[in-house]
Amino acid sequence: MPKGSPLRTNRLSPISWSMILLLVVMFVSASHALAHRVILYAYVEGDRVFTESYFNDGKRCQNSRIEVLDMSGEKLLEGKTDNNGEFSFNPPKKTDLRIILTASMGHRDEYVIRAGELPDGTEGKARGSEPHQIEKKVLEAEKGGEKETPSSQLTRLEVEQIRTTVEGTLDEKLKPIMRLLAERQSEGISFVGVVGGIGFIFGIMGIILYFRSRRGR
Amino acid sequence: MHISEGVLSPSVLVTGAALTAAGCGIGLKKLDYDRVPQVAILTSAFFVASLIHVPIGPSNVHLVLNGLMGLLLGWPAFPAILIALFLQALLFQFGGITTLGVNTFNMAFPAIICFYLFGYAVKGRNNLISNGAAFACGFFAILLGSLMVAISLAFTGDPFVGIAKVVVIAHLPVMIIEGLITLFSAGFLKKLKPELLEVVHAKR
Repeated sequence: MPKGSPLRTNRLSPISWSMILLLVVMFVSASHALAHRVILYAYVEGDRVFTESYFNDGKRCQNSRIEVLDMSGEKLLEGKTDNNGEFSFNPPKKTDLRIILTASMGHRDEYVIRAGELPDGTEGKARGSEPHQIEKKVLEAEKGGEKETPSSQLTRLEVEQIRTTVEGTLDEKLKPIMRLLAERQSEGISFVGVVGGIGFIFGIMGIILYFRSRRGR
Repeated sequence: MHISEGVLSPSVLVTGAALTAAGCGIGLKKLDYDRVPQVAILTSAFFVASLIHVPIGPSNVHLVLNGLMGLLLGWPAFPAILIALFLQALLFQFGGITTLGVNTFNMAFPAIICFYLFGYAVKGRNNLISNGAAFACGFFAILLGSLMVAISLAFTGDPFVGIAKVVVIAHLPVMIIEGLITLFSAGFLKKLKPELLEVVHAKR
């Protein structure tokens, strides 16, 4: 095209414009399409720990490996997620649990469940220790001279029962809220992030050009 | 294509970081400072491209654009991709800071390979060859990138062939889409601004 070429050299490069256009198109299509990261979320319900795992766009991680470790790194158990990206297990002991999800292609996420979140009687051992403690307390109290009447002991047990019931109900009620919170937290992409990132890049360009122009003088 | 933190062994991370540092060194040395704005625009494009999710295929994948980066930038694609991935890790938690070196190398190295393999053919006079080369550039950049990811993961003990199969199959749609994007971009550039393709090669 010999006719247009002298004109074109003077014009503000059309390619810059086309690239900017490309950016805009990408940005528009990006707003409703999230990308690549896995999220693991776990919660306690009753005496089981439930985990859910999904990609950033909401697609479930099927057949992915879940490992459960204690804080010292010792593996307690492992399993695979089902078709809904879910996996549940009975905590083998009452300790802080580090749950690790390994999805395909090097994607990985962790979630920690604190020992305090786990129910008191998760397992035989744990259950055994709990009433024992109460008994011990009662014995101590008796030793201390404040003799407890059977009725006060009864109230104590009732309180214990009420507490577990309330906790169970609360878990149930809070489940959707907890999930919402976890999803909110893990949603990495925001308008601010995208625009900020592009701003950073052009800022870096500005710095390079600034020093370049100073050196040129 | 972003490998998360805590997946790879330290030796792989260190090797990746060292290779990326070397690549960035060469890239900055070869960078023509008049082209810094162009590098910045392509860096932004790469930064945003990962947000575009490709819903086809068995897994969750996104655009990468490393073929186009390599074709238009050559070695400066290394620092450009590093910056874009750093920001993605920081702002979106894609990949991670410790895996930055490996991830950059996995995407930038195929870009450089494709630049050397297809760069000359793309700027050639024959339209058919040029278009074919541009498509191949986008296609192979992703294919090689997938293989790089598989190699990185294989060092952690998983069998290479198994992972490679998964990663390559998952990225097959992306390969085709990126091939087309690179084809159209290169064709467009050749018509409107052929010197963009020329300068890179003059600077080699």
